[in-house]
Amino acid sequence: MKHSVTLPAILCTLLASWAAGAGESTPVPPGAAAPAAAPATAPAAPDTRALDEEIQSIKKDTVDLNRDLFVLEEELLFPANTQVAVFLSMDVGDFFALDSVELRIDDKQVAKHLYTPREAEALLKGGVQRLYLGNLKVGGHEIVALFTGKGPHGQDYSRGATLKFEKSVGAKYLELKISDRQAKQQPEFEIRDWE
Amino acid sequence: MSAAVAGAQPYALLGASAPDFTLKATSGTNFRLAEYRGQVVALAFWGSRCGQCGAQLAAVSRLVDTYRTAGFAALAVDVDDDLAAAARFAVAHPVSFPVLLDPAKDVARAYRIDNLPMLLLVDRGGTIRWMARDYGSDSGNGYLQQVRTLLDE
Repeated sequence: MKHSVTLPAILCTLLASWAAGAGESTPVPPGAAAPAAAPATAPAAPDTRALDEEIQSIKKDTVDLNRDLFVLEEELLFPANTQVAVFLSMDVGDFFALDSVELRIDDKQVAKHLYTPREAEALLKGGVQRLYLGNLKVGGHEIVALFTGKGPHGQDYSRGATLKFEKSVGAKYLELKISDRQAKQQPEFEIRDWE
Repeated sequence: MSAAVAGAQPYALLGASAPDFTLKATSGTNFRLAEYRGQVVALAFWGSRCGQCGAQLAAVSRLVDTYRTAGFAALAVDVDDDLAAAARFAVAHPVSFPVLLDPAKDVARAYRIDNLPMLLLVDRGGTIRWMARDYGSDSGNGYLQQVRTLLDE
C-alpha cells in the first residue's frame, strides 16, 4: 500500500527544520539561494557526541512518526466497519508449487499476484501474505480465488475456491489456505474465516 | 546522470523510484524488480518488430556477463501483443538475463515507455538514474560508462 503523496513532503520538511536547528547542513532545493558564507572566525569544536545523540533521537522520532502516520492512513482508508482483509498461507511440500493467485469479490477482480521463487519459499516456511485489503458494505458477498501453479507431477495445475460470507459491522478477515492432502495425494484449497 | 539528446523529450521518471513489478519470464519463472535491490539493474524494453532491439539486448548481455559479479543485473521486458513472435525473437537473440513478458503493457505504462528500444538504469537504491532511447553505433560505450559509474557508487 502506498503512502499518500503528502507524507514524504511532511517528513522531508520536519527533517530539514530539525537538522537546521541542530546546525547540520541540508540539501538546497533547486532555485533556492545559496546559504550564507561561514563566519571568518572558527567557532569552538562542537560537542559531537551530544549532537549525534540528538540526531539519532530525531531519526527515531521520524521513524515513529512515519509508522503512526501509516497506521492512521490505513485506519482512514479502511475503517474497521467496512474493512475486509484476505490472507494467504501455505502448508504444502509435495503436491503444489504456487505460481499465481487471482482474487475476485462479487465477480470483480480485486487482486492478482505472481509469486517469485523467493516469495513461494517464504510462504512454505510459514510466512503469511496479506493478499488484499479493501472495503465492503454490510451484507452478503462472494469471494472466489483461483490458484495456478504446478501440480503433483509437474503438470500445469489450476484450481478455484469459493466462499459466500456475511460482512457485518467490524473488520472481516479471510484466509486462503493451500495444504497437502495426503489421503488423495492432491493439494487442497480452501477459503475460511481467519481465526 | 541523465541521457540528454538534443531535441529529445525529457524522461519524467529520472530520479524517481523505479516502480516495482512482477512479470513472468519466457522460462516460466516469475521475476520481481524489488528482489534486485542492492544491485544496479538495467531494464531493457523491446519489441519483436523493433530493428535495433536485437543489438541493444546483445550489448546489455555483454555487460551482464562482464559485471554480474560486481552486482549488475538486467531484465528485458517485451511489450509484444503476440507472445509467439516474442518467443521467436527471444530464441533468435539469446541473452544471459531474464526475458520478461508484458503483453498487457502495464509495466511499460508505469515506466512511461515511449520508444523502442529503451533502456533504463536503476541504481542500488532503486532510483532510476539514466535512460536511453534507440541504439546506435556508439550506444554500447555509453551503456558501459553509465553502468560503471553506478557500480562504483
